[in-house]
Amino acid sequence: MAKTPTPLSKEFLKGLWNENPILRMLLGLCPTLAVTNSAINGLSMGLATTFALLCSSILISLLRKIIPSQVRIAGYIVIIATFVTVADKFLAAYLPEISKALGPYVPLIVVNCIILGRQEAFSSKNGVGRSIIDALGMGSGFILVLLVLGSIRELFGSATIFNLQILGDWFNPWMIMILPPGAFLTLGLLIGLGNWLNERKVKI
Amino acid sequence: MNKTTKMVIVLTVITGLSGAILSSWDSVTKPKIEYHKLQALKVAISDVLPSYDYYEEKDIDGKTIYIGKLNDSTQPTGIAFKVDGSGFQGNLSIMVGVDPSFTSITGIKVLEQIETPGLGTKIVEDPSNKTDPFWFPEQFVGVIFSPQINVVKNSIPQNSNEIQAISGATISSKAVVRILNEDISIMKELYQSVN
Amino acid sequence: MNLLLLFISAAIVNNFVLTYFLGICPFVGVSKRVSSAVSMGLAVMFVMTITAAVTWLIYHLLLVPYHIEILEYVSFILVIASLVQLVEMFIKKVSKPLYDTLGIYLPLITTNCAILGLALFSVLRDYSFVESLVFGIGAGAGFTLALVIMAGIREELELSNIPKPFRGAGITMIVAGSLALAFMGFAGLISM
Repeated sequence: MAKTPTPLSKEFLKGLWNENPILRMLLGLCPTLAVTNSAINGLSMGLATTFALLCSSILISLLRKIIPSQVRIAGYIVIIATFVTVADKFLAAYLPEISKALGPYVPLIVVNCIILGRQEAFSSKNGVGRSIIDALGMGSGFILVLLVLGSIRELFGSATIFNLQILGDWFNPWMIMILPPGAFLTLGLLIGLGNWLNERKVKI
Repeated sequence: MNKTTKMVIVLTVITGLSGAILSSWDSVTKPKIEYHKLQALKVAISDVLPSYDYYEEKDIDGKTIYIGKLNDSTQPTGIAFKVDGSGFQGNLSIMVGVDPSFTSITGIKVLEQIETPGLGTKIVEDPSNKTDPFWFPEQFVGVIFSPQINVVKNSIPQNSNEIQAISGATISSKAVVRILNEDISIMKELYQSVN
Repeated sequence: MNLLLLFISAAIVNNFVLTYFLGICPFVGVSKRVSSAVSMGLAVMFVMTITAAVTWLIYHLLLVPYHIEILEYVSFILVIASLVQLVEMFIKKVSKPLYDTLGIYLPLITTNCAILGLALFSVLRDYSFVESLVFGIGAGAGFTLALVIMAGIREELELSNIPKPFRGAGITMIVAGSLALAFMGFAGLISM
């Protein structure tokens, strides 16, 4: 428990920049790389992950005094897997196109280190309200990076963003950007950019 | 309370709760998911068969075929079935329609593929061809597959059993043709053995 | 499908790390030294093979007959977590040297998405028991291969002058991108 309670706004904002799960803490890289070949895929993945993170955080912070510490990890993963299944079936039932595009990466949210990491580091030690703020902050940070990455890759790989034509016919799309190597290269450059900005003490 | 008992009870309750949530959610979403699957199948069948009023499903030796029929006739308008095989990087699954006498193709639609984005995926849709993005699957309409379909490169097909390969994705194009050549003749024998 | 082709496909052409992005966290975390990369790779390969077998049995003998496929993810992740624990205890009992090499990596494997990914892929692709076993070994071999190559490159990178913001994760990603590009050259190797 923190000695002096941090203001709630700070609890939220840390997820966006200082403790950004992807750029600063390098967690949850698999979905980050895999589904960001277009902005819409990145956004849907971010939302599905945030949903699972938020629900798990609420439940686990409610149950934090009941779950014995020896079996907490087992308990956490059952709870997380349950909410991920809910999200996965929701996508399959109501947004079949997106569900098809994301494929097995939706169930893989179960092993997204961000979710288990936040439960272990935060929700298991803090109250519900604070855990919700933390989950929303981390989720927003995750969505933000996925959205930026997806937009960059879609812009250069297909000349569009959210399927809207941005670059004209003169632009010959760089196929590599929507292929696996493009994912690694773009994320590497983004991480570098993040570090560079951080060093210059650019704060948001 | 004993520590071990508490552990067991808590875990059991959590798992039970999870099971309860999921089974109720399953009953909500399952019909919708099934519906989407059926819808996708119907779209694929109507894409590859010539006009029909309804289709019949028939199982022959574990393979399902869909026979398109008109309301006022018992004669089929065409027969559709799924064929599978390996493409450039993985499995290719294609819905194909043929005329009732099994001589020419009435349409194909690629259902599943993991070909190279931007190149091999042109077997489904070619966004670089603004006037006719579906030129590749469409050229199979009317193709005669006896003795076999042939692929030509960099030229316009001259014969009724030839199709043009996608430049940059010759292997994907050839894979589609190979799967069709192999599986249509198998389905032909199957179909004619029961009719 | 021919089993040898399946193996090559899983290990090289459709490499888990470089084309499916599975197991990226350990790929970034444990690729600083070749020796630890080899140990981690072997531990993953070992767990993958067992997971492939056990999850196949669970799915086809338990979930499908009782129509409870909805519990797929919950049961798979529980099985994987308990398997990793069991393997850890087993290795500790049987071979001390092996435990010393693999020990610290085993707990990390539970949240390695490559393991769950493997189980999900074999269900999705409808593999038979033998096929999913071969798929597991192949995917594990591919993971080890990618990890060891990466570690080899990173050992060299430490001596080079990299712009400061890119040190660590940034350059690792960019090198991984080049590796993925090189591995794309294998595409088509097994198609005909």
